[in-house]
Amino acid sequence: MARRQSPEADFDRRLLLAMGAGGAVFATLVARLSQLQFLEADHYEKLAAENHIRLVLSPPERGEILDRFGRPLASQRQAGRVSVVPERLTDAEATLKNLGRFIDLPEARVKRVLQDIQNNRLRRASFIPVTVVQELSYEEFARLRVRAVEMEGVDVEMASTRSYPRGRDFAHVLGYVARASADDITRMAEGRTGPELKTFEDLLRHPDIRVGRQGMERFAEDWLRGRPGRRRVVTNAHGRPMQELEQDPANAAVPGKDLYVTIDSELQRIAIERFEGESGAAVVVDVATGDVLAMVSTPAFDPNSFVNGISGKDYAELRDNPMAPLYPRAHGGVYPPGSTFKMVVATAALEAGVVKTSDTVRCGGSYRFGNRTWHCWKKGGHGTMNMHNALKHSCDVYFYEIARRTGVRKIAEVSHKFGFGETFVLGMTGGRSGLVPDPEWKQRARGEPWFEGETLNFGIGQGQLGTTPLQLALMTARIAATGAPLKPNLIGLGPPSPEDKTLDAPLDPAIMEIQKAGMYGVTSEPGGTAYRSGDLGLGGPRLAGKTGTAQVRRISAEERRKGIRGGEDIARELRDHALFVAYAPADNPKYAVSVIVEHGEGGSRTAAPVGRDILAAAIKMNSGRTPAYAKRAAVKTPDTDGAPEGDPA
Amino acid sequence: MSRDGYTGFTRGEARTSTARALQFANFGPLGKVARLPWSIILLIVGVGLTGAAMLFSVGWDPVAQAPSPEEAGLWRDHLSRLAVGFVLMITLALLPLGIWARLAWPAYATVIVLLVLVDFFGVMGGGAARWLKIGPIILQPSEPAKLAVTMALASYYQRAMPTGGQSPPLWVHGGALIIMLIPAALVFKQPNLSTALALAASGAMIIFFAGIAMRYVAGAMVLGLAMIPVIYTFVLEPYQRERVDTLIAGITGEATNGLGESYQIEQAKIAIGAGGLSGRGYLQGIQSQQEYVPEQHTDFILTIIAEEFGFLGAVGLLAVFAFLFAWSFMVAAKNRSWFGRLATIGATSTIAFFAIFNSGMVLGLLPVLGMPLPLISYGGTALITVMACFGLILSAHLHQDEKLSARGLF
Repeated sequence: MARRQSPEADFDRRLLLAMGAGGAVFATLVARLSQLQFLEADHYEKLAAENHIRLVLSPPERGEILDRFGRPLASQRQAGRVSVVPERLTDAEATLKNLGRFIDLPEARVKRVLQDIQNNRLRRASFIPVTVVQELSYEEFARLRVRAVEMEGVDVEMASTRSYPRGRDFAHVLGYVARASADDITRMAEGRTGPELKTFEDLLRHPDIRVGRQGMERFAEDWLRGRPGRRRVVTNAHGRPMQELEQDPANAAVPGKDLYVTIDSELQRIAIERFEGESGAAVVVDVATGDVLAMVSTPAFDPNSFVNGISGKDYAELRDNPMAPLYPRAHGGVYPPGSTFKMVVATAALEAGVVKTSDTVRCGGSYRFGNRTWHCWKKGGHGTMNMHNALKHSCDVYFYEIARRTGVRKIAEVSHKFGFGETFVLGMTGGRSGLVPDPEWKQRARGEPWFEGETLNFGIGQGQLGTTPLQLALMTARIAATGAPLKPNLIGLGPPSPEDKTLDAPLDPAIMEIQKAGMYGVTSEPGGTAYRSGDLGLGGPRLAGKTGTAQVRRISAEERRKGIRGGEDIARELRDHALFVAYAPADNPKYAVSVIVEHGEGGSRTAAPVGRDILAAAIKMNSGRTPAYAKRAAVKTPDTDGAPEGDPA
Repeated sequence: MSRDGYTGFTRGEARTSTARALQFANFGPLGKVARLPWSIILLIVGVGLTGAAMLFSVGWDPVAQAPSPEEAGLWRDHLSRLAVGFVLMITLALLPLGIWARLAWPAYATVIVLLVLVDFFGVMGGGAARWLKIGPIILQPSEPAKLAVTMALASYYQRAMPTGGQSPPLWVHGGALIIMLIPAALVFKQPNLSTALALAASGAMIIFFAGIAMRYVAGAMVLGLAMIPVIYTFVLEPYQRERVDTLIAGITGEATNGLGESYQIEQAKIAIGAGGLSGRGYLQGIQSQQEYVPEQHTDFILTIIAEEFGFLGAVGLLAVFAFLFAWSFMVAAKNRSWFGRLATIGATSTIAFFAIFNSGMVLGLLPVLGMPLPLISYGGTALITVMACFGLILSAHLHQDEKLSARGLF
């Protein structure tokens, strides 16, 4: 055994040993550093670049929807938005509570935001902000802007949001946009595959993107959406963009295209106001061009409330409202046309040759057929009626007789020629075809043969017959145009609506003149059912029209005996609908209108004045004048939106 | 004692005579302050200030080109802790070794009591009970334990070391082992593996320098190596095992999924590697600025140094540490008392253990354990402990000729 050294001497020896070991450790660390920072530096440099340069989807700005004269109906508006970033929130509930001190935050909203935060966290996308309030008022924005600085994870910024400056006026025409739901994504992504599908889905999920849910917003989705761009950005570990890199212009987002509708939004406004809170619909069509100039369904909902998600409570209120504001009456409401249909029956009878205009029928107030009695609306009867007078006085007995002579098939055929039983899309959703009954339909639907008695009801626009206000307006326009072909348009400049055909089934001008004369009689000859509403109030021009009353339910024999026809005696929802179709000026038709006032009872009393005022407004404002988009479409000159009002007729 | 061939003085004598010539040495504490090794202290503070600068970089928001509001506090906290630590270090440095030695056992006893209390009344945090809450004061007894165990072992050997140039018998080392193992076991149980390892490592170094026969050292090493597979299989928790697997995969270059346990080390390697020779420049470390490396303000702060100042910066920092440790070892060698020598060894080993383990872990050579980089990582208690350890080393330097008797020690 070696001689033991003293611990003191041994200490120095061991110190050398330890320092040698320390030196070895130091050398190892330096060697590792050189391996990483010299030998493999390029590799890690590349990994670092891959790490943080990312292509981020930049959403396109949605195209605007403008009216005939370039007034915005749906536009992108900059508004203050407050959002929270889940990754930066320590206590989401406390933060929202704090926010609630400065802005209005209902309980339901808080719940939804907390759910969204949870979802983002689950999707490992905590850096994606969750919108708390999409549109702040100016005061809220100013207040929050100052406060948010000290609130962890809260962002207050300006953001683009869809806005409908005309509110309810165009709810049923334009529909609305909303965040894409899972169903929307499935529906819209159909037919796309691979990377294109992925991009498209990412776009739809983008918090700034809204998709059309209903109406023209949905129909013209592809036209309005635009194409997303790609931005090269430096992102941090959580995927949050930190720095913009130089952008390739070819990768910029392409904004969506603007869309023009043929409607004159001022005429639309006047028409809605004219309903004075009653429910109903009105459609104005330009006789010469087929442009729809007004498309009213009232009451309506405010599409702005749907853009950022409507609360369940608010939606339930709309849904359960007895006035049915969600119901698109103008093109989706099916009503029996009542006496407004009599021109069609008269046309059918003349085409069939079963009656001459001079032929008369005696009206004693009722009509006996088989073993049943059909009543005329006038209890005492009209006396002897030719076609002109029958239209003017709206004599039911005359039309029972000629309908019976003409037969159901011929009336149905002529109905189709006028466009009844046909769905008009015109760039909207929710349109309905109504129903033109015939024996084949009855056999199919009910498994019963056609009873000839039903033909009589058909003859006065009642029974199974169902029409929409839009169809009635188109019928009126064709009569006013003396049977000339008519192509209905609602989209002035936008995607085509290929399903909508031109109404060009031949109509004999001579027969149309007879109908026009009858309609002129209604409004402009003493004794006409709408004589009081015949003057447009413009110091000369008159209108020509036809009143109608559509039964909501059958009148029982007992009520008929007691003379109860409606009014205060029965509940509102059981009262008859009032209808009126008209065109003006009578001598040189430019505009055709159809009006229905729900439960308005008498066509001549409630619907005719509304129709008259709408036509007068259209004439006064020259609603049919050259639209703004005509220039834009024809000459490719920049912006002519500036002076739509000064256009000559 | 090597005497200078030119003056004929040992270094200590030369310093004393110089100070005397300057009429300082006799002025009590003020003279002592003058005799402190200010260049070394400057180096220590310099490393601490580097830490503050790097924390400022961690808290930099590259988008706003301003300190981000959430992380702006990091470097300020560090600076104020550094100031507190500095005062503590200088104060401790001025304490004569006799006082240190007399405080050793009371400190050790207090720490043991506190560690036992933590076991019963400890506040849970991060899945472990490490803190004691006494009124408003929050104590983490495992931190003072590092210093207390060092002092206790040094004091123990001061008394147990036989006079007359003989090595202590084996049972003396056995006693030292027990003194070290009791607190180490208590800390391990919390669980706080990194501190337990630090305690064991510095204890082992003291026993080694106290002169335990080399055959036992060799035996312990062999035993330790043999235990590795056993510990891996039976002692480690699954998450710890995963860390070891990740480590081995990282060293052998095996592909990992870059997620979970391997994500942090993978991102750290990218940051370091992307730094290259001279780095991307201060505040320019993309990988670091974009929050790719988790725990960058604490355990992984070396990555931002390596990314922004490159190989030169990282090696420079390691070299400064190496120099400080070598200087401390020399302090130990020059001290006349066993207490002074071994206490310096223990304090140096504690700091060096963290520095080495932290760098090894960040560079992917050692498994990921919660080990701060001394003086640089964000964290108050660790910084104070390190400064206190330096205080002890400086005291040993200042009082290298102080003769300690066994009186008052037990």
